Amino acid sequence: MTPDAIPRDRLTLWVNGREVSVIADPHDRLSHILRDRLGLTGLKEGCCEGECGACTVLVDDHPVASCLMLGFQAEGVRITTIEGLTQGGGLSGLQQAFLTYGAVQCGFCTPGMVMAAEGHLRANPDGDRAAIRHALAGNICRCTGFALIVDAVESEAERRQADLSNAMEAGA
Amino acid sequence: MTLLNVCRPTSLAELVAALRGADPVHLIAGGTDLLVGSRALPDAGRLVDLTALPALRGIDTTGPDIRIGAATTAAEIERHAGLALRYPALVQAAAECGSVQIRNRATLAGNIANAAAAADLIPPLLLAGARIAGLTQGGAECEISLQDYQAGSGMLITTVILLAEGFGPDSAFVKLGPRRDLTIARLNLAVTAQVQDRQIVEPRIVAGALAPRPIPLLHAASVLGARGPDADGLRAFLDALSAEVDAAIPGRASQGWKRQAIRGLGIDLIARLLKLSNRDPLFDGVM
Repeated sequence: MTPDAIPRDRLTLWVNGREVSVIADPHDRLSHILRDRLGLTGLKEGCCEGECGACTVLVDDHPVASCLMLGFQAEGVRITTIEGLTQGGGLSGLQQAFLTYGAVQCGFCTPGMVMAAEGHLRANPDGDRAAIRHALAGNICRCTGFALIVDAVESEAERRQADLSNAMEAGA
Repeated sequence: MTLLNVCRPTSLAELVAALRGADPVHLIAGGTDLLVGSRALPDAGRLVDLTALPALRGIDTTGPDIRIGAATTAAEIERHAGLALRYPALVQAAAECGSVQIRNRATLAGNIANAAAAADLIPPLLLAGARIAGLTQGGAECEISLQDYQAGSGMLITTVILLAEGFGPDSAFVKLGPRRDLTIARLNLAVTAQVQDRQIVEPRIVAGALAPRPIPLLHAASVLGARGPDADGLRAFLDALSAEVDAAIPGRASQGWKRQAIRGLGIDLIARLLKLSNRDPLFDGVM
């Protein structure tokens, strides 16, 4: 069967646990659709060529640069933005750790940094500091010097490990 | 208003049908080369996304050959334990492609088809004698050596095929770029050999970002195999690497620094091959 090659002006995306419908041009990048069409302004667009990491979102739990993905390529996958991390209307543990450790200054890189860290922790919960640094290598921060960011992510990994241990003990 | 149409085939039959349409066909997969700022997207024709085809994804190590789908990402190669055992240099190269955000999108065949001189995956694939299977513009199946692949020939790569036995544990990849992570190689090197009691037997080396396409470093490999990795042998090897640069890019502006830089990269390569630190006493005074 020949797939229809018609202008795809209406996309159906799965964003932060909800199905959304949006009109988009074939050239529209996912970052543009999320921020400018869907109003998810936590996402920042910096370089628009995959260098800065500010537009990082999770696609099926993996961090990707949403500026390097066309909108129509995002149909059929789960997209999570920084807005999708909030828990019960409050900050997630990782977001709170960024505040606690002072890992935020101007804040422009923070949503992308948090999403890259969240993707890393979902796949690598052990909190190895070198692995955290490697995972965040695609995110540029011009304010903090990175050390406090890595501290925050490391502390969140420890908190999650402790929660897991407590849950296992409670269930034993 | 754009005249560009898009489609996402989900089977090879749909893909072949899409390729046979009357409109000019443009392909996109990970988009990590096509969507960078300096490149213009096509305004007309048919843009075919290759990332929704299960037939182009995944790594199959169960058959007589290892078959890697064209749209398999660098991250999937990086994480594959079976490949790490058989083709360490390929896995190391995949782990050093861009950032995690890039590796989660960049595809194996995209790295081949984009044909950048600095492509990281191609040197280890050439060392592995990789073959590529695909479709001609007419939709016929074809299979050629990666060595014979010409970017822009119209061949759509569907699978990269490697020998099942692999390199064994003794292979390595290193790169040099303007920064440590998320960097485009100014030089990269891949090596395979048999390592026995720190002796490097029958090494083969391929260099990227030294010529329009990755090239074998036959002279340097010969010196390394003949002299062994003691201090004198390593010095001879590094001299041979510099000579390879002189032969590859005589008179180019980068010749001067690359003939020096490749010496440090050569140390890194041997260290990784021998599973040593590049500060091991073996390398003292060699530079």
